[in-house]
Amino acid sequence: MIVSWNWLKDFVKLDLNPAEVEQRLMMAGLNHEGTESIGDDLAIDLEVTSNRPDCLGHLGVAREIGVLFQRPLTLPTAQPTAAGPAVDGQIQVRIDCPELCYRYTVRVIRKAKIGPSPDWLASRLRTIGITVINNVVDISNYVMMECGQPLHAFDLATIIGQQIIVRGAAKGEKFEAIDHNTYQLEPGMCVIADGQRAVALGGVMGGAESEVSQATTDLLIEAAEFAPLSIRKTARSLNLHSPSSYRFERTIDPAGVDWASRRCCELILDLAGGELADGVVDVGNEIVALQPVVLRLPQLERILGITVPQDEVRRILTALGNHEESADNDAVQVIPPSWRRDLTREIDLIEEVARIHGYDQIPEDVAVPMWPSNYSDAERVLDKLRRVMTGAGFDEAITASLAPQEWGDRFSPWTERDPIVASMPMKGILADAPNDLGQADKVRTSLLPSLLEARRYNESVGNIGTEMFETAKVYLPREGDLPVEPWTLAIVSSGGFLRVKGVIERLVATLNPTMKLEVQPTKQSLLDHDRSAELRLKGRQFGFLGEIAPQAGKQFGLRTGATVAELRIASLEEIAVLIPQYAPQIPYPTITRDLNLIVDEQLLWSDLASTVKESAGEFLETTEYKETYRREEQDGTGKKRLLFSVIFRSAVGTLTNEEVDQIRDRIVAACREAHGAKLLV
Amino acid sequence: MALGEFLQQLDDLAGDAETAFAAATDADQLEAARVEFLGAKSGRLKSAQKQLGSVDKADKPAAGKRFNEIKQQIDGAFKAAQQRTASGGTAGKATGKFFDSSLPGSPKLKLGHLHPISLTIEELKDIMGRLGFSVADGPEIEDERHNFEALNIPLAHPARDPLENFYLATANKTSPDVLLLRSQTSTVQIRVMEKTPPPIRIISLGRVYRPDTADATHYPMFHQMEGLWVDKKVTMADLKTVLRLFATSYLGCDVHVRFRPSFFPFTEPSVEADMSWGDKWIEFGGAGMVDPNVLSAVGYDPDQVSGFAFGLGIERLCMRRHGITDIREFYRNDVRFLHQF
Repeated sequence: MIVSWNWLKDFVKLDLNPAEVEQRLMMAGLNHEGTESIGDDLAIDLEVTSNRPDCLGHLGVAREIGVLFQRPLTLPTAQPTAAGPAVDGQIQVRIDCPELCYRYTVRVIRKAKIGPSPDWLASRLRTIGITVINNVVDISNYVMMECGQPLHAFDLATIIGQQIIVRGAAKGEKFEAIDHNTYQLEPGMCVIADGQRAVALGGVMGGAESEVSQATTDLLIEAAEFAPLSIRKTARSLNLHSPSSYRFERTIDPAGVDWASRRCCELILDLAGGELADGVVDVGNEIVALQPVVLRLPQLERILGITVPQDEVRRILTALGNHEESADNDAVQVIPPSWRRDLTREIDLIEEVARIHGYDQIPEDVAVPMWPSNYSDAERVLDKLRRVMTGAGFDEAITASLAPQEWGDRFSPWTERDPIVASMPMKGILADAPNDLGQADKVRTSLLPSLLEARRYNESVGNIGTEMFETAKVYLPREGDLPVEPWTLAIVSSGGFLRVKGVIERLVATLNPTMKLEVQPTKQSLLDHDRSAELRLKGRQFGFLGEIAPQAGKQFGLRTGATVAELRIASLEEIAVLIPQYAPQIPYPTITRDLNLIVDEQLLWSDLASTVKESAGEFLETTEYKETYRREEQDGTGKKRLLFSVIFRSAVGTLTNEEVDQIRDRIVAACREAHGAKLLV
Repeated sequence: MALGEFLQQLDDLAGDAETAFAAATDADQLEAARVEFLGAKSGRLKSAQKQLGSVDKADKPAAGKRFNEIKQQIDGAFKAAQQRTASGGTAGKATGKFFDSSLPGSPKLKLGHLHPISLTIEELKDIMGRLGFSVADGPEIEDERHNFEALNIPLAHPARDPLENFYLATANKTSPDVLLLRSQTSTVQIRVMEKTPPPIRIISLGRVYRPDTADATHYPMFHQMEGLWVDKKVTMADLKTVLRLFATSYLGCDVHVRFRPSFFPFTEPSVEADMSWGDKWIEFGGAGMVDPNVLSAVGYDPDQVSGFAFGLGIERLCMRRHGITDIREFYRNDVRFLHQF
């Protein structure tokens, strides 16, 4: 809302520094956006919150200034003199849609002279950025900007059948507005019609055919109240926003409708002449009286933390236009003014007192009681996870929760259901992505595709070899309930399968050193079928790991190979030992034996390691894998050599070479027995 | 004794001796090291020689060969050190090799970087945690009750406009509830209060969604932090004080907080909170006293308890802190961007 400094002076004495006024208004709820000097006037831009439509006119702003600086408010009288015959016989008004239009009033002026507005009026409108058209249109705009009530002047000669019918629009009904665009209307929109056709889109814009022109002499002045929600929907769906729709959307003062109509007629008679028909046609709801509101004075301290003297409370409430019904030491009861429909509860009055009394009165250094904060296990796990991932050289990415259909089609390991679809896509988030994608309107069920796009983007700007991870939710639909939103870890690496597996093993070990990461085959079209696996913890699904299949890499526009993993963070929470328990250090040294076994090509290391563990007995501390290599000329085809160390330690004394050699022989025998392994000497 | 073990001992011995000789800066120190390793009676090399006897017979030739090699290696290192200390010169002069200390460290340590949004969230959590606020998590896909109704946002409110939210359609139509991506983290307030009696002191942090087209200052997904404290006697003075403590911790100097009146459906009185930064006021975020309707909606008695809530945009805070000028940088994940934080 832009206000003119000179205009405000009509209503409140302004022997004040504008900067001081701006500051006080800002601290009382009208945020100061800026001030521009225009001629001898100032255009002050104030932000009006949606609960304060009363400040969408100069009078409302002047009233605030009056309250803040303790100055009286002067209102125009708005008492036009009627000289013509009764309006009743000249026009009939009917509301067919009381749910869209609460009240409709009409006054009639004949023999007005349309011409330019006087300078003072034109310059005030220009100051606040309103186009000047002719005296009658300018006056209707002027009065709207004065009191916040939109008005519309019709050329009475164009109104057919001497009647106004306020009705809902028919489906597909066409309407040409003053802006000379033709709009197609829908049911739920409010139309002002005469005996034949729509002459205005109620509360939004007048019609081209009934607008006031140079040839106009007789005027129909509309002042009405329309349903806010319907106005908003109409303005949005037609993308036709006007100062009028803006005010009706936020509700107007029902008691101010007639005042605005009279004020408008008064100015027209003054500036354009003419003859006002006697009376008003006023159709629609009675004005509902506002209910009294009680403010219990102790509540001020209870909510604000400060006491406000009773006199001050009463002064503020009264100055704001509330009618005080009673007041004693404990409570004040008021009836709020008609323009403050937002004041219905005690808490509303508390806020009024607080903002006028001043929030600067509230201290910022009271004693706040201590309270323990809880650091949840989930947070601890996430912290450790992030430490491991960054320690391993991975950068953290954050990607959007909505994704194109294609991404989910390529990888969605957690659910077989279709993803949830958003009512509209996230616009502009795929600006850098390949243009063969649909729009981002699927709530994602996996993270990796988004992370692969981040990798592709990095490749495209020359960042090769990126290592990235993300922790975020995926959204898995469920029958008849909110979706599940498991926290998920996604990893994209430039290294191979074993490099990423090593990172995941370290992650698992950080949370639980005794936990073993298990693998089993998986078939994901995103992943190379040989070099991928489903990962498991304690026999339960943990996630997926694998090198990107070449075809999938191409789909994502990747130039280099990558290894990816997507893991369920809840699995980590389940196995995490967040408070490790002490075990004494064994004071005896270890003895190590290296083993080099020739085994079948298909033998899994994990199977061999299990055999080693089972056969070794209690002194085996660790089995350390070293390497796999092949000597086909010596071992024949279908064989590989597994080189590894077994490390022994006893808790009760230093092991002897003889003891350890015996265990080694036992291990070798067990491996021969179970896997046909042959010791290489 | 196994051969492998003996050989390992020899390797360790050679390494220790070389290190000790190289570390000696004068003749006295060198002599002490000589006695330790090459001493004729109880030097460590002499001890190793004794252990050679306990090596398996079959391994003896190999063990003996290695012992002689190690002995020569240690003797050589001693002679080099002797020359060096005698001439008062450096190892470089003695060996003829120049050690270039200006070479880069190797191997290069590659550490990953947390995302600046995560770093900001961590800092906020840390500060608020010290003020007694625990982190509460809640779903990002919400029903209208938690995103709107319980927050005192009626059906007619513009915030519920279909074009202002990502409403969701699930494939199965069995759920009667309208779902949407939450437009604010205040939803978590409601979920916590529904389940927990007061007192409550929580923050919720996370993703929120509004259908703005992505540009330099908008992104359809962003992050918020929301704080809530409800108890028997919580006032606006507590709110101002907590925000000031927060701002003082965050900015690292004594700052002041001011309130400008504002309007939010779920708080009343509602304010915009600013904090002083140098001689300027900068916007902190929205705040206010929890609206009695919200307290009633979760089954609290607004005459018995009161509370405050505040919320702020993480991206905006992070952008101002680090001078980031385009919000899209956060979600492009260019590693050159990530490496700056």
